[in-house]
Amino acid sequence: MNDSLHAQGARFRLPRPLHPLAWASWLAAIVMLLTLTRNPLYLGMTLGAIALVRWRWVSAADEAEQVLSLSPWRFGLIVVTTAAIFNMAMVRVGMTVIFTLPAWIPLFGGAWTLEALLYGALNGLALTGLFAGFTVINRVVPVRALLRLIPRAFYPVAVVISIAVTFAPTTLQQIQQIREAQAVRGHRLRGVRSWLPLAVPLLEGGLERSLQLAEAMVARGFASGSERTERWPQLLVLAGFATVVVGWLLQLVWKQPMWGGGLLVVGAATLLFGLWRAGRHHPHTVYRPEVWRTRDWLVTAGALLVMAAYLLPVFDRNTIFYYPYPALSWPGFDWRIGMAMLGLLTPALG
Amino acid sequence: MKQLTKLLTYTLTTLVGVVAFLYPFWLPQVTQDASGNMAHAGDSALMVTMLVGVCFVVLLLEVQREAVGAKSIALLGVLVAINATLRFAEVAVPGPGGFSPIFLLIILGGYVFGSGFGFLLGALTLLVSALITGGVGPWLPYQMFTAGWVGLSAPLCRPVVKIIARATGAAPRTSDKGKAETEARRVAPRPSSLPPHSEVWVLALFAGYWGLLFGAIMNLWFWPFAVGPMQMHWAPGIGVWETVQRYLVFYVVTSLAWDMARAIGNFVLVAVAGAAILRVLRRFQMRFDFVRLPSQYATARVGATESR
Amino acid sequence: MIRLEHLTYTYPGAASPALSNISLDLPDGQLILLIGPSGAGKSTLLRCLNGLAPHFSGGAISGVVRVNGYDPVAATPRVLSQHVGFVFQDPEAQFVTDRVEDEIAFALENAAMAPAAMRVRVEETLDLLDLTPLRDRPLKQLSGGERQRVAIAAALALRPSILVLDEPTSQLDPKSAEDVLNALVRLNHDLGLTVILAEHRLERVLPYVDSIIYLPDDGSPVIFDDARAVMKQVELTPPLVTVGKRLGWQPLPLTIKEGLRFSRPWLTEQRQRDSVRPRHRHRFVRTGAPYLQARRVKVRYGAQEVLRGVDLEVWPGEIVVLMGRNGAGKTTLLRSLVGLVRPQAGDIYVNGRPNKEREVADICRQVGYLPQDPNTLLFAESVGKELEVTLRNHGVERGNWRLEISDQETEQFSDSVSGVNLQSPITQAPAFPITSLLKRLNLLDKADAYPRDLSVGERQRVALAAITVTQPGALLLDEPTRGLDYAAKRTLEQLLHGWRNDGMAILVVTHDVELAAAIADRVILMSQGEIIAEGEPSEVMATSPLFAPQIAKLFPETGWLTADDVSGVK
Repeated sequence: MNDSLHAQGARFRLPRPLHPLAWASWLAAIVMLLTLTRNPLYLGMTLGAIALVRWRWVSAADEAEQVLSLSPWRFGLIVVTTAAIFNMAMVRVGMTVIFTLPAWIPLFGGAWTLEALLYGALNGLALTGLFAGFTVINRVVPVRALLRLIPRAFYPVAVVISIAVTFAPTTLQQIQQIREAQAVRGHRLRGVRSWLPLAVPLLEGGLERSLQLAEAMVARGFASGSERTERWPQLLVLAGFATVVVGWLLQLVWKQPMWGGGLLVVGAATLLFGLWRAGRHHPHTVYRPEVWRTRDWLVTAGALLVMAAYLLPVFDRNTIFYYPYPALSWPGFDWRIGMAMLGLLTPALG
Repeated sequence: MKQLTKLLTYTLTTLVGVVAFLYPFWLPQVTQDASGNMAHAGDSALMVTMLVGVCFVVLLLEVQREAVGAKSIALLGVLVAINATLRFAEVAVPGPGGFSPIFLLIILGGYVFGSGFGFLLGALTLLVSALITGGVGPWLPYQMFTAGWVGLSAPLCRPVVKIIARATGAAPRTSDKGKAETEARRVAPRPSSLPPHSEVWVLALFAGYWGLLFGAIMNLWFWPFAVGPMQMHWAPGIGVWETVQRYLVFYVVTSLAWDMARAIGNFVLVAVAGAAILRVLRRFQMRFDFVRLPSQYATARVGATESR
Repeated sequence: MIRLEHLTYTYPGAASPALSNISLDLPDGQLILLIGPSGAGKSTLLRCLNGLAPHFSGGAISGVVRVNGYDPVAATPRVLSQHVGFVFQDPEAQFVTDRVEDEIAFALENAAMAPAAMRVRVEETLDLLDLTPLRDRPLKQLSGGERQRVAIAAALALRPSILVLDEPTSQLDPKSAEDVLNALVRLNHDLGLTVILAEHRLERVLPYVDSIIYLPDDGSPVIFDDARAVMKQVELTPPLVTVGKRLGWQPLPLTIKEGLRFSRPWLTEQRQRDSVRPRHRHRFVRTGAPYLQARRVKVRYGAQEVLRGVDLEVWPGEIVVLMGRNGAGKTTLLRSLVGLVRPQAGDIYVNGRPNKEREVADICRQVGYLPQDPNTLLFAESVGKELEVTLRNHGVERGNWRLEISDQETEQFSDSVSGVNLQSPITQAPAFPITSLLKRLNLLDKADAYPRDLSVGERQRVALAAITVTQPGALLLDEPTRGLDYAAKRTLEQLLHGWRNDGMAILVVTHDVELAAAIADRVILMSQGEIIAEGEPSEVMATSPLFAPQIAKLFPETGWLTADDVSGVK
């Protein structure tokens, strides 16, 4: 998948690959944005930015060879319709009444409003944006590069995933072989019971292979930390987590923004420090690490700009939180936030 | 100490995870009492998402400790590969509705090898199948977390199996090695023979139950988008109960048939294949445990160092 | 420098030790071959050298192991990875990553080598095994031989002074095996690397080795000596050595070149005395119609033509061996005979009936097919159950199974198997005697065993039982000698001869020239999807440099193929 991508890069003059971390920051900005805003203007801008980046990076040929290819258009159509209709059926708020059902019908009775319909559709749009953003990452960043993003504290998990990704195609072949082997014994596929002659050899073979693999790994010096490693970094992580939770509750339930915010910061710092310490249990280096180029700085800066504009109380944050209730109104728009959102377009440059 | 950290991590993350997953039901209530500042509600939703992520990370750090060493890692890697492939491979069982064969291994793996192993098997199966099919999406963290819970909770069947085994007088084998012997082996009869029926039935019911629950939890992810929690600011009369009612309607309309198929599928699959697969896993586990038999091996080492 | 003193190792739960009281001193820089019957503990011994045993298998170990001054048991396999490189039997099961370069870098990453130094080291290692052109390739796209070379490179990345290989060529075809062995010889000669190699097919490696360790399975002491000296003392020898010993050639020849120095004058002398007798042939008369028949069969995978109009006939009562390079289309032909591959053109008939529109399961009642990996067949709880499952799959009523039959019936069975009219409805079909089949395959005492607990040879026989319990008229085997030692091979040969004499039509695909020489009534050579030669084994095999058995090379134009053919020997 990875190789074909580069091969096509030459043919369709796709941009030079970005560092996976730069992509991650771009995706983080998208996720944050789409979780926060329901302002149709901002939503539209985000969707437009995703579409442009997608068009720039994903070739049609690449599109065709995906295993599961549900196009964002189709996804959007289904989701927007479902969400709009469902929201309209469930919510009895809004001034612009489309029609009214008799009140004695449970749940559905009452006035069905345009506001509810619109709000549902906006929700659907946000979801479509999330989906489309992820499809770009799926197509553009190779799986191996994604795995390198896993922090060192989770090195064993990264190895498990990498083994699994490597073994999955083998497993597919294995399934095919076993099916044939059972077919020559007169096996026919009928019902759940006939699954067993396939499952048992598959599992047995897999377990054998796993033991051989473990030996091969250790014979080449693999070690994934031992039982004896110190426990305190993990306790630190746990303590940091607890602090974050308490801080969050303070802020949310007991309305102590100052205390809560402080605890959140302290907790997050403790947690990150703990993770960093835990990562030092797994000393190993990486062959050919990805190169970080100027364009990666640009993309990351763009993503950070968007996040800052949305999270920091510098611009008019009230424009972000748009609701059509109780009566339809024109959404507000802060042009400075709009300008900042152009940061999402950075991957399409170059 | 080790047990305490484990227990603490499991309890805390599960508690926070459940609370966070259920945010569409309570978050509006909480924020509503405030000055009606909607901005706050929006930020809270983002915060909840991040909290779920942190929860996952903390839990991962703990379960990872339980599956350390080349053998566990290789075994997990291969089982995840098998399971992830089964998820999309066109296999023998024609998949009706939400049925997916992945729960079989997640539940049996967690049951035999322990909760940490089960969590990793569940979460990573979903991750890897998404990676190889290019299906990474915003739902993935929820799927991983939920499938991880399935595996994490599988060892809960052990005491039930034990009680039933004792009540029916099937196999009340008393362990003489005490702590050294793992819970799984105490429950297990001779690995070369098939496990008793009661054990398989308990697991099958458990799998069926998770088939329904998995769907209900996964819907929580989609639910705020279908019917956002925010509009409750605009309908002060609506409380938690109404939200739950709406969710139920939403669930029945969009998912129940789908999830029933999964529940029945899970039940049937474990009932039919559970015994054979349990035996395969336990046979392997016998080899798994060998490493930790120190007695004879230790004396050999002493002999070796003496002659140095 | 490797030193073993009174090494004894017992697997957990085993009644007797796998290795008992072994003392050896292995010098540096040699190419050392480890041989012995299967079950003698060759793999275990190799695994003791880097501590995989007991660290990965538990159990009890006593005695002393010293590798470059280290005790592998105390130091752990991780530390030993700097001193001992290890290559396993199956090239596929030992890869952790999916690209050549990454695989080589894996050990370096674990050793936390600095990235810059790592680049240099990977480069050097690629050069060492001529892998530079393959560096970016996914491992999936490599041939078996290339994969094994990558595995060797990966094992050498940390620059160990010792390389240990556990049957590295047993899964390869002759050409790939040659490549791997050449690479090993070069490493040994150029770098002075100590190479310790376990191997079944001695004929291939004997020319290259300096010394041999013979590990017996009967408790007699281990032999470690110069290759020639060991060959004199042991039973398991390649045909060349067997003949050399029988004819009393001194010094014992280990290569064909050495052997020809003796065989040429000996043959001239025999010819003068007129005592050269032709090879004993199994007399076989073609009766009736061929049981398997393929007419102008063409198979294409995408743009690639795998079979280009193949004609093939196999009669009841003969063993046909199909040979050829990897990718010649042998396996595809076998698979199309049972319907696993549907040809784009041409017809296939089994017992006179066309394959078209018959299900695989239906065809396989008349044709037993043993795939390359017999493990894929086995899943049931016991050997007996495996057989019952096949019968149930084919819809045979329980009443027709016979678990116990008398001796008289056993005799009748072996007579009747060829004459079974399988087209008759099931109700009229003969009983399917499970017990006598198990007896024939020497599995009777294993009837209740879990199939996967058995040895490789036994598992293969269980798989054979599972496909022949329906009493098919034909049997197809794909690479049946993979991983079998000389004794298991001999058993298989006898079994196939027995079935052939009962009138079964047998078709075998193999790379193993010595097996082909021993069993074939007729040999077919394939290349690029076509049959390029067909006929008597002595005619076809003797002329081909790649497929000629050692005896044919040693005694040209005699038609002899196996050590037993050589006349004038008592």
